[in-house]
Amino acid sequence: MFEKVLIANRGEIAVRIIRACHELGLRTIAVYSEADRAALHVRQADEAYLLGPAPARDSYLRGDKIIDIAKKSGAGAIHPGYGFLAERDDFAQAVLDAGLVFIGPRPSAIAAMGDKAVARSTVTAAGIQVVPGTEGEGDLSDDDLLAIAPKIGFPLLAKATAGGGGKGMREVKSIEEMPGLLEAARREAEASFGDGNVYLEKLIENARHIEFQILADSHGNVIHLGERECSLQRRHQKLLEESPSPFINDELRTQMGEVACAAARAVDYLNAGTIEFLVDKDHKFFFLEMNTRLQVEHPITELVTGIDIVKEQLRIARDRKLRYAQEDIHFNGWALECRINAEDAYNNFLPSTGILNSVIAPSGPGVRVDTGVYAGFEISPYYDALISKLICWGETRGEAILRMRRALEEYRILGVKTNIPFHQHIMDSHRFIAGSFDTRFVEERFSMNELEEEKKHLAKIAAVMAALVTHRESQSASQIVRRNKRDTSNWKWVGRWERMNR
Amino acid sequence: MKYFATIGDKQFEVEIKSDQQIDVDNQQLTADFQSVGDQPVYSLILDGDSYEASIYTTETGIQVLLQGQLFEVQVEDERQQRLRQSSSAPQTRSGDVHIKAPMPGVVIDIPVEEGQEVARGDDVIILESMKMQNEIKAPRDGTVNRLRVKTGESVDQNQILLILS
Repeated sequence: MFEKVLIANRGEIAVRIIRACHELGLRTIAVYSEADRAALHVRQADEAYLLGPAPARDSYLRGDKIIDIAKKSGAGAIHPGYGFLAERDDFAQAVLDAGLVFIGPRPSAIAAMGDKAVARSTVTAAGIQVVPGTEGEGDLSDDDLLAIAPKIGFPLLAKATAGGGGKGMREVKSIEEMPGLLEAARREAEASFGDGNVYLEKLIENARHIEFQILADSHGNVIHLGERECSLQRRHQKLLEESPSPFINDELRTQMGEVACAAARAVDYLNAGTIEFLVDKDHKFFFLEMNTRLQVEHPITELVTGIDIVKEQLRIARDRKLRYAQEDIHFNGWALECRINAEDAYNNFLPSTGILNSVIAPSGPGVRVDTGVYAGFEISPYYDALISKLICWGETRGEAILRMRRALEEYRILGVKTNIPFHQHIMDSHRFIAGSFDTRFVEERFSMNELEEEKKHLAKIAAVMAALVTHRESQSASQIVRRNKRDTSNWKWVGRWERMNR
Repeated sequence: MKYFATIGDKQFEVEIKSDQQIDVDNQQLTADFQSVGDQPVYSLILDGDSYEASIYTTETGIQVLLQGQLFEVQVEDERQQRLRQSSSAPQTRSGDVHIKAPMPGVVIDIPVEEGQEVARGDDVIILESMKMQNEIKAPRDGTVNRLRVKTGESVDQNQILLILS
């Protein structure tokens, strides 16, 4: 069995995987791009090899080079992390063909879940309800769509096949307005993506995005580790996750967990994976998709279950049996994760690049920080904006929120703008505290400019500090022109000094 | 030295009497104000209450980030306030605004044309960077005077993208 693991990733997740390997006594091999020579994962791994130039397609996406390095360095297994090559079945197959272990699912499962149409029909065949719609059924004409629409039921969404970010998307409330809206959606999709095809999907009102972590071993055992609430998103980017979900009770958890395990079995799943569901306001749930890899937000599940998911991944890849049966899984307390991104929360979440001058990470009881950066490291424009994940645990949801507030206030990152103020606003938001939010909360009902009552007095302090800074600047400016202590005039002195520099 | 600090529609009068003594709206306070470690970070102990904030001077005023809250503060001293009040002409912003790239990236889309009128907050350039599409917005109302980039072009940080007049 393998004793050396190559981590085909960078940033915080590479560091996370290195930690798990070292705890299990496995040697680690980092790969890096030219921009990442000084990155934390390179510093912490036992061996490190250069992949190529900074752009991902020349480095972290070079599967052929990565497999080459694995063979030359004697690695027995490759962990892909998330993103980059993690959900590429051709890469997973190439790893196996090279006689190495791929720490993840079988290529066939990645392919089955990666293709929307195949995924939908596979889980439907296993008796699992999917969001009703025509996604993955090919490109349909307006007449076809108009005929299918009443079967799906209104309201529904017309979405661009090639789309994303809400472009080419229209909410349709009735059959009468549908032809006009279809035309508008097609026009917008054509303009944005050069592809005017649209599909229909039932609109789930007040939808929550809830996912289940599953683990499957090579002996046919499949268990779930409970749910994660991921409804707080901005443009389909998750920003904050929690486990458990304030929306799910024990009965629903058992029911959804069983469905999640069934979906995994339907594709003969192996290793760690995540089943995503949309849940409507009546607690009806629909299969959305499966992520066939480790998730960014896996730590919150680790904190409430006490299970180290990455170490379990490594054990599963070594053909060990799962150490837990479903009845051994217990949930203790509450965990929250804030994704700390190099984005200016006050300027439309514009990414911010630069050198981190200073980083003081929060710590203390119940606080975990997963990061791949340090003071002096540069946030480059080549990769995503994730600086770190701040994860807090509490006995109750209330304690976890208060702890997160405390940790966010403690966190000091200088050199780039971050979205920490955004998270602080969320932690102060009454709707968040009450647990009443859905996937549209951040975009439609949340403002960075609203000031909670208890923070109003801070305006005065800010005014005082701004005045003091202005005062300092005018003082130091006046010192420049103040008559010098020397006998000679400053002009004469400057003249001499300039001559010296010739 | 007396300063007038304005946040939104609120104004505070801050008189700095010495390094330790300040009056805020005629209330006497003891202040200890220090910068921290050569960074734009300041620590203020005001009558025993301790605060820390990141403070940035920008073209439009002073930004104070305090306990996760960003305050835009306009500060004037007595002379500046008198000057502004005596000049009867209404404040107009004139001149061109150069919209620069906030980070290196690729121009994905330009939803405006030269000569087009835009309102404050309208998208003028879509720039892709860090795997994200970012909308660059017009900082004020105006007319697109000149486009300095084309769709598909790679740009450096601070490169001028568009001139608004």
